[in-house]
Amino acid sequence: MNEYQTVGEFTRYLKLMFDTSTKMRHVLLKGEISNFKGHSTGHLYFSLKDETSKINAIMFSSNARKLKFMPQEGTKVLVSGRVSIYEATGSYQIYVEDMLEDGIGNLHIEFEKLKKKLFNEGLFDPKHKKKIPKYPKRIGVITAQTGAAIRDILSTIKRRYPICETILFPCLVQGELAKDDIVKQIKEANKYELDVLIVGRGGGSIEDLWAFNEEIVANAIYESTIPIISAVGHEIDFTIADFVADLRAPTPTGAAEMAVPNMSDLTNLINNFQIRLNKQITNNIVFHQSRLKSIKESYVLQNPLAVYEIKEQRLSNMINELNTYITHKISFSENRYSHIKESYILNNPDELITKKKNDFTLLINKLELLNPLSILSKGYSVVSKESKIIKDNTELKKGDIINIRLNKGTVDAKIEKVGS
Amino acid sequence: MEKKKFEELMDDLEKIVKELENGDVDLEASIEKYTKAMNLVKICGDKLNSASESVNKILKENGSLEDFQLEDNQ
Repeated sequence: MNEYQTVGEFTRYLKLMFDTSTKMRHVLLKGEISNFKGHSTGHLYFSLKDETSKINAIMFSSNARKLKFMPQEGTKVLVSGRVSIYEATGSYQIYVEDMLEDGIGNLHIEFEKLKKKLFNEGLFDPKHKKKIPKYPKRIGVITAQTGAAIRDILSTIKRRYPICETILFPCLVQGELAKDDIVKQIKEANKYELDVLIVGRGGGSIEDLWAFNEEIVANAIYESTIPIISAVGHEIDFTIADFVADLRAPTPTGAAEMAVPNMSDLTNLINNFQIRLNKQITNNIVFHQSRLKSIKESYVLQNPLAVYEIKEQRLSNMINELNTYITHKISFSENRYSHIKESYILNNPDELITKKKNDFTLLINKLELLNPLSILSKGYSVVSKESKIIKDNTELKKGDIINIRLNKGTVDAKIEKVGS
Repeated sequence: MEKKKFEELMDDLEKIVKELENGDVDLEASIEKYTKAMNLVKICGDKLNSASESVNKILKENGSLEDFQLEDNQ
């Protein structure tokens, strides 16, 4: 009988085998989520499956809290964790420690490809952007009928600009069917007289927001004749819809704020216009009044004869000025004439002649001094050979014939000896 | 003037206020502008104040518009 072990013993044995195996402690798996169940405690229960197999999985709330996306039925995921046995059912399961969305990389590539394509097609061109009216009467909203987005949009509009009417065009905002639904409602909304359309949804994972990255949605936004404000996810989320829309809002609340003015701002603005108008017209009237007053009080209007008096005075001033000028001119000319008449030179002409003679003699003497031959009269002679003036005895040798010019006449001479 | 949209009325109003502030000194012209602008102030103010709170509507699948109320528990 001792050969038989209890189920418990065997299960514990198996569990020990699992728990002591390094391979079982660090398992990396990829698969698709099914039978997903989020427990109120925060623990997640689900299965991972592929075409051939299935494994149960549990993710405790301490790990689930750190997830960067909302796992759900059908999500393709990459998980890491340990595999162990749950004794009560004898089933093995993976205790998931971390989980990532699979295929996100592919989505990013797809996003960039479509963004480039639509950019080249001109869908993002600012020249196609329609102006958002400042004071809309009726706004269309295309989003899910329930959830934070519609609540935020409607409450913001009600708070800021309650006189604006809204029409909700409910649609799916995630999943495979969402894109067609969004397109259908954008087209439907264009049949109504709306000033602006808000198209969007609340935050979520990149896969949740994916409908807003679909080409048909982009085209529907582009073709809408009603201006569109996009409001997809959070501030950091950018979708293709945001690039095509006439205006991108960071959040649904932001979209509502961009779509409608603030009622109290508007009332203040009108009051301000009124104050400025009154101030301006008062200023203008006061200006004209004071101008009229100053004209009425002007000297001329008070003393009409003064105009005549002023002119008469000016005339007499001018006559005086003219007289003074002429008198001055005559006396100046007289002075000049008598001054010339009484000049010394006109009265002593001989003096001028004597002075000129002296100047002439002086000049002759100066010229005499400068004559090169005048030096010979003092006893100097000039020696030359063959018409060349000799200044140095090296130019001469014994037997040369030289010519000597004296003060009076010349002599030829023969060199006897040349000194050192 | 009543036929114009609120936005156009506000734009007209703003334009006149700026014209007056930019030193249009001709008295008759400015009084005429002032009268026109004060009339716009009244029309715009009335439009804002008289407009009642609008209802939210939803397009149902059968194509009809019905009043839309957010669910209280949201």
